[in-house]
Amino acid sequence: MKIKENINNFITDNASFIFSVPAVLWQVLFLYVPFFFVLYTSFKRVTDSFGFDLTCDNYRAVLSSPYFYIIARSAFIASGVTFLCLICAYPLAYFLALKVDRRWKNVLLFLLTLPFWTNFLIQIYSWVFVLDHNGLINMVLLKVGFIQEPLHMINNMGAVFFVMLYYYLPFMIMPLYSILEKIQHDLLEASMDLGATHWQTFRRITVPLSMAGIKTGVFLVFVPAFGEFVIPSVIGGGHHMLVGSLISHYFLVVRDNQLGAAFTIVSGFVLLVCALLFNWLCVVPSQQVQKELAQ
Amino acid sequence: MRSFGSYILPIAVAALYLFLYIPIFVLILFSFNDNSFTCGWTFFTTHWYYDLFASVEVWYALKNSLLIAISSVFLSLTIGSCLIFFGSRESVKRLLILFYGSLAMPEIVLAVGLLSLFSFFAIPLGAITLIVGHTLLGLGYVIPILHARFIELDESLIEASYDLGATQRQTFFSIVLPLLMPALISSGLLVFIISLDDFIISFFCAGASVQTLPLYIFAVIRTGASPMINALSTIMLIFSSFFVLLFSFLHIKKQGRRNES
Repeated sequence: MKIKENINNFITDNASFIFSVPAVLWQVLFLYVPFFFVLYTSFKRVTDSFGFDLTCDNYRAVLSSPYFYIIARSAFIASGVTFLCLICAYPLAYFLALKVDRRWKNVLLFLLTLPFWTNFLIQIYSWVFVLDHNGLINMVLLKVGFIQEPLHMINNMGAVFFVMLYYYLPFMIMPLYSILEKIQHDLLEASMDLGATHWQTFRRITVPLSMAGIKTGVFLVFVPAFGEFVIPSVIGGGHHMLVGSLISHYFLVVRDNQLGAAFTIVSGFVLLVCALLFNWLCVVPSQQVQKELAQ
Repeated sequence: MRSFGSYILPIAVAALYLFLYIPIFVLILFSFNDNSFTCGWTFFTTHWYYDLFASVEVWYALKNSLLIAISSVFLSLTIGSCLIFFGSRESVKRLLILFYGSLAMPEIVLAVGLLSLFSFFAIPLGAITLIVGHTLLGLGYVIPILHARFIELDESLIEASYDLGATQRQTFFSIVLPLLMPALISSGLLVFIISLDDFIISFFCAGASVQTLPLYIFAVIRTGASPMINALSTIMLIFSSFFVLLFSFLHIKKQGRRNES
């Protein structure tokens, strides 16, 4: 009895500590510890089973491998997808948040979230039906007589890019919408009353106020797009690889964990550099506007 | 009369919606197509739906997926709400950055890390390792959402509860939990969808022993897809839109009642 009481007292006294531990432990054990495992593996010698005989050979192999250009390609494609997503998503989010009346807004928001409930692999695969050699577009164009030969629209980098744009668009719309919705109409009206044109109001008021949403959206799209693995393998026919495809190739197909780990670390580093660059790009324009306003 | 310019935005929005819905229409359309090898349309059929209900593999995979999703939702909500409520506000605020880590790197890096960890300790891959991975993904959403809701709560409610003699446990179950319910439901739903739809972590950490729905679908796509998959996702789409509509209907009704009182 005494022991049980003691345990109960101990739990109540240290509740704050005891109940915070599981979540933190879970995060550290399964996210941060594995990261150091990957780092360690990337410096390990292939012949060495377990030890601290570390080497940079894996990195040398990655940097001189013919696949190294895939990192640059991924960065390029992911930036392109992010940029186009931003261009497409901004008008949509702007319309939803500021232009449309309440009843339609709920319907449109519902329609926006609905595709999330279908499996994303099937969504992606549906594009094969559309773009394929004898898919929907070719069928229609041939019937109409626009073309005599079916167009090759699949198994190339363009198709991968296009489907990535499709898949990541909602990830850009959501954060933009939630920040644009918080903008007060008074501010926009005040700007117009003071004689600003639509464009000036948009550039000086709306865009700077939505900068946080733009930033979130850019990261939500760029980070997963950089490591994309499914879309190149389904749409690109497996020949047009991105970073994600190569990582899974190293780990699951050739089972060269050391090289895979080194490649993961190098591409992670490139991702970090890109992220910092984007962060800087987002900060500069808003500072510029602030400077102009101060003058 | 409205100017021409005021129509540009609605037209662009309509075009974007069309773009987002093309695959959905196509997948529904082709679930009724008799032709399974090429994309050409032959004639209307429902036999993929019969095949679907007769298929053992699909239901087995769906059962695994649901089991893993429900376990991950339960685990991430439990340990997440424990941290949010019992942890002191300052320490939670400081720890919050820890939980953004899983969002800041591509999922494939998480998957590679988990795989290295499991294989180093020779932990057999299977449903348990998947639950571990999906709970990790889930925590990245649950903790920020719950935290945002919790700091909005009126602290005096919790203090009043203590003043009236409630223990910490009583306060948690009868004050904080009901107040956090909307955030718990929305974040739980999010984790559920993410887990059910997750491919990359499952691909790395499932091993050969356990088949989830996305893994099954990927295998089918690789070997030449059967429209049975389309039939399955049409059914899932109908079910989920029904639930989302029901949910938002109840929400609107509740809000209406609140406005009346």
